[in-house]
Order: sequence, then C-alpha cells, then structure tokens
Amino acid sequence: MSARDAILARLKGPSPDQAEADALLVAPERPAVNEATLEAEFLARLALPSVNASHDVVGSMADLPTAIARYLAGQGEALTLCLPPDPRLTACDWGGFTLHDSAAPDEAAVLAIARRGIAETGSLIFETGPTAPMLPNFLALHHIVLLAVRDIAPHLENAPLTGPQPRAHYWVTGVSGTTDIEGAYVRGAHGPRFLHVILLRN
Amino acid sequence: MSGFTDRAEAALADPILKIAVERTAGTAEAKRGIAIDAFPDFEAARSRAAAIKDHVIAHLGAYLEQFEANAIAAGAKVHWARTADEACAIVIAICKAEGAKSVARSKSMLGEEIGLPHALAEAGIGRVETDLAEHIIQLADERPSHIIWPAMHKTRDQVSALFKAKHRSPHQEETIAAMAESARRELRTQMLNADVGMSGANFLIADSGAVCTVTNEGNAELSLVPPRVHIVTAGIEKIVPSMPHAIHMLRMLARSATGAALTQYTTFYTGPKRAGDRDGPDAMHIVLVDNGRTKMREEGLAEMLRCIRCGACMNHCVVFRQIGGHAYGGTYPGPMGAVLTPVLDGLAPNRDLIHACTLNGKCQEVCPVRIPLPTLLKGWRDKSWREGLEPTSMRAGLGLWAWIATRPSLYRPVTTIAMRVMRLLGKKGWIASLPLAGGWTRHRDMPRPAAQTFMTQYKKARRP
Repeated sequence: MSARDAILARLKGPSPDQAEADALLVAPERPAVNEATLEAEFLARLALPSVNASHDVVGSMADLPTAIARYLAGQGEALTLCLPPDPRLTACDWGGFTLHDSAAPDEAAVLAIARRGIAETGSLIFETGPTAPMLPNFLALHHIVLLAVRDIAPHLENAPLTGPQPRAHYWVTGVSGTTDIEGAYVRGAHGPRFLHVILLRN
Repeated sequence: MSGFTDRAEAALADPILKIAVERTAGTAEAKRGIAIDAFPDFEAARSRAAAIKDHVIAHLGAYLEQFEANAIAAGAKVHWARTADEACAIVIAICKAEGAKSVARSKSMLGEEIGLPHALAEAGIGRVETDLAEHIIQLADERPSHIIWPAMHKTRDQVSALFKAKHRSPHQEETIAAMAESARRELRTQMLNADVGMSGANFLIADSGAVCTVTNEGNAELSLVPPRVHIVTAGIEKIVPSMPHAIHMLRMLARSATGAALTQYTTFYTGPKRAGDRDGPDAMHIVLVDNGRTKMREEGLAEMLRCIRCGACMNHCVVFRQIGGHAYGGTYPGPMGAVLTPVLDGLAPNRDLIHACTLNGKCQEVCPVRIPLPTLLKGWRDKSWREGLEPTSMRAGLGLWAWIATRPSLYRPVTTIAMRVMRLLGKKGWIASLPLAGGWTRHRDMPRPAAQTFMTQYKKARRP
C-alpha cells in the first residue's frame, strides 16, 4: 500500500459539508473598521510602529515620478529605480531616472503597484504575473508602493482574488524586521528596511 | 537520573539562560496581552479557531484529497510520507534528481521534527538556514530552544563571536543592528544562488492548493523565489478549508505569537512559475507528512492537532520560563512539546518530562485554539502509570498511601504522628531537609505543617 493510501485509509470519514465550513465564518471576530473613513484608517495603521511605513499622496500618475524623486532625495538615494514592466508605470515620464526591470542583489529602490490596501492591518496586497515580479520587492532596501485610494478595502477577507489564484499572492505589512538577537528590533533583516506608500487619488 | 532531569538542573544553574528566556518570553507575554485586549472578543475568536480546526480534523482525509487535487492542478507535485524517514527520503530524492548542491531553508519546525537538517548533511547537500535565529543556531551547531525565537538563549556577545568566526565579512561595531547587517550580507548571496528553496507551511489551503508561509524577516520569500525548485514539507494537520478560514487563523497566530496584528510578510504559493512569470521556481513539490498525526487522531490526542505553533503556551509557562527550551530534549519545547514529545520520541524515555508541569492551566488559558494541554498531559501520566513506567519507589509509595488513605481509622493516627515528626524537623516555619523526600527539599524548603491535623481542627470547631 502506498504511503498516500495508508494515510488516507486511517483518515476515512464523511465528506465535509460546505454549509458547515461556511458557517464557521459567519460574523468573524475582527478589528472594527469604519468604511466611511477607509483612507484615514488605512493610513493610521500604516503609521503604527509595527508597520512603520511612510506615505505620500499624488493626484495622478503623471505626478508619480516627482513623488518618487522627492522620496529618494529625502533618503539620500540616487534616482535609480527598479521598475516592473507594468504598462501603467512604464507609460510615466521617468526623465532624470536610471531605470531597470531586474533587481540587483543590492538594489536600492523598487516600485510596485499594490492591488489592494487593507485598512484593518495596513497591509498591501500583491500578486505575481508577467508584469509583476516578486523578488525585487524583497531585495530592495526601499520598497516603494503605489496604491490607488479606490483599492483600499476594510478587511483581510477583501484581499483574495476570486477564481483561479496567481502563483503567489502576498501581503506586505511592514518592513523586513527581526527581534532574534536579545529581543531587540532591527529593521532590514533580509529585505526592505523602508516601506513608502504613494496613494493615488485619481 | 534521567536526561530531562539532568538538563533541567543544568538549565536552572545557568543564570544567563534565565535572563535570556525571561526577557523574550516576558516581552512576548506583555505584547500578546496588549493585542488581545485591543481585539474584539478574543474568547469567541478562540472558540471559532478551535471549531475550524476540529472541523478539519474530523474531515481530514477529504480535505487532504481536495488540497492534493488543487495543488496538482496548479502544477505542484504532491508526495505523502508516513514517517520522518520517508519524508526525508522523498526530499533527498528530489534534491538528487534536480542535481541540487545547495538548499536555502526557511524556518520550519516540521523540518526539525523529521530531522531534515541531518538528512541533508548525510546526503552531502549544503544547507543554509535563512531565518536569522536559525542561522545563529546553525552556526552554533545547536537545536532551536523556542519555536518562534529559536536562538532566544543566545546573548549578543555569543552571537557576535559566532558571526566574527564564521562570516566572510563580519560586523565591525558591537551593535545588534551591525550583527543583523552582517547576517544580511552573508545570507543574501547564498539565498540567491541556492538550487532548492525549502519551507514548511503555516497553512495548506484545501480549495486552492495554496501553501501559506508567514515571516517577519521576508527570508521565506527570498529563499523560495530565486531557486529553481521549491520543496514544502508540511504536517497533514496544516489544512484549512479556504483562505477566509486561514485569515481567521492568521489573526489568531500573529497576536498569540508576537502580539502583532499580522506578520510582516504573508504569502500564498500556488504551484510553480507560470507562463510569462518573471520569477519563481520551475518546480514545486509538497510533501505531506503524517509522522504520528493519524495515530494522535485515533488515540485521544486529536485536540493537539489543532496546534498552530504560536508558542504562546511556552511564553506563559512557569516551567519553561525557568528552564528554557533545550531542557525539554525534543523538537518542541514547553507545554505543547511536553504533549508532543512522547508521540514523536516515545513515552518511556520522556516519563519525567510529562511530570514537569504544575497543571496551573495557564497554557490552556492562552492557547488560541483552546487545546486542553493540562488534560492531555494528565492523560500521558495516566498512560505512564498503566504501562508500568513509573519508578517502583513511586508505585510502592502511592500504593501504601492509597492503602492507608482508604482506612480512616488508620489514616488519622498515622498522619498525626507524621505531622508531629515533621514539626520536629522544621525551624521558623520551614523544613530545610526531609528524609525520603530529598527531591523536594533539595531546591526549596517545605512549609512546616500545622500543629493539628485538619480533622482534629474540624472536630474542635464543631463542638459547641
């Protein structure tokens, strides 16, 4: 008997009732979020020490390069950016920037578009795809994220896509941190040390 | 003297260990308390989490088959292992078939449980642990002492010495930030150049075939995206029906483990790289491991399969906070470890471990999935007694006590005499040394008994 058959033989039982599984999710306990002030709630969570992100606001995509230049200059970084091949980003005027679409091991800054922001936790939701590589978002020192205000949702239950899943669906709720040495918190353990969110109003 | 007793005595005599354990566990306890106070109705949330896990355990076979079908449909290969040896053999065979020389591994307690580090070493496959604490432990050639903070027993001076001895470009400043930066430099190229990325799973999502991992360091993603192969080893109890079920468990896990609302990085991996994807592994293998779990389900330990490995039980355990994790001897320390270790390593060699508990119930109070840990430990004690594993002296002593205690006319004079003798041994209210009970008085004094027995006082009080 194969290992699979041997294990499953010991676990024989009735098939799960979908209604029973669904009933376990009725009215879940979770932090309250005021849907009338989603943006403010999201920004408040983003500023918590546990998330530790800065933010900026732009009125349109045309303002995005200027906002990023402002951030990088404030951080003392050159105008060098890892830019994913997303047509919404490549269409912007990046004059003055040095761009590349593959992240170097010591990449300074990367830009990515979050599909959603979650007010409950200040999380940013991403999915992999041909125009959305994953690795640069974990390699760079500065993780810069563009998020449309209309994509802010109240709870984590709003994060998943319905239907077929992408290869990777991931939530970013802060920077790479560790408390592994004497409990002292250190930012940038392996990945980004800084998280900067640019809200797009239009 | 048994292994556990020796280890516990050594741990108690180590003043640095006590400080290190207390610092991390105490902070975790405080942060959890703040997070739970801020959460609406955490008690109801605990009940829901327990109900989700019980539902899964009741239908475990069906959910595993559903997960398998969906993972395969997403392009992953699913393997099944009855034992730790089978699981390691599968992993090593995959590595050899892929010609893998190096493995980047994200922290996985299941990997520790099945002895994967040892199996990789035996197979001649290089392994780099990428969680900072696991990296420290690997350099020190030690075992984790906590399931969330594996290197909690190490001081900054010890870590500094390790990094200076083993890193190619170690830190120059004696700060924790500089040490972490040294590890960042050391590990980054190894993660990017590894042939295989290995992880456990915090949750397996049945209706999508996704594998969920959580980290605060982001080392899982850096370990699992660049290599050409991703191998997951996961206990079969990690299944949840859907992502919304996982979301409830994630809310419980982060708050119970570190007091955070959520870990910094939460990722759901569904199969290998897709057409057009710019990164990700070419192959994904998922090894579903039993290693005693079906037996636990059959033999009265099903509630233990609810465990989501948050570590809250050990952070709140008065025993763990005195002796740390290594004294427990097994893969899993603390109260959950005391219940699991006899399953994994046998009851006979762990007979004294199951007695290392005051049964104060704190672990059960903080468990996010309401595991009745004291009851399960008492079950092990009962089994140990029934199987004749308790020492002859204890069996004889308890037998004598039971014989006398069931004869009140004998019990009362005997206890009166015993009390008088004990009072003669006591000074200033305490007995420093008690014949036939040296184990009790070696490390602490026993209160001097009252002048009269309870029954004598009771009878006196009843007289008009």
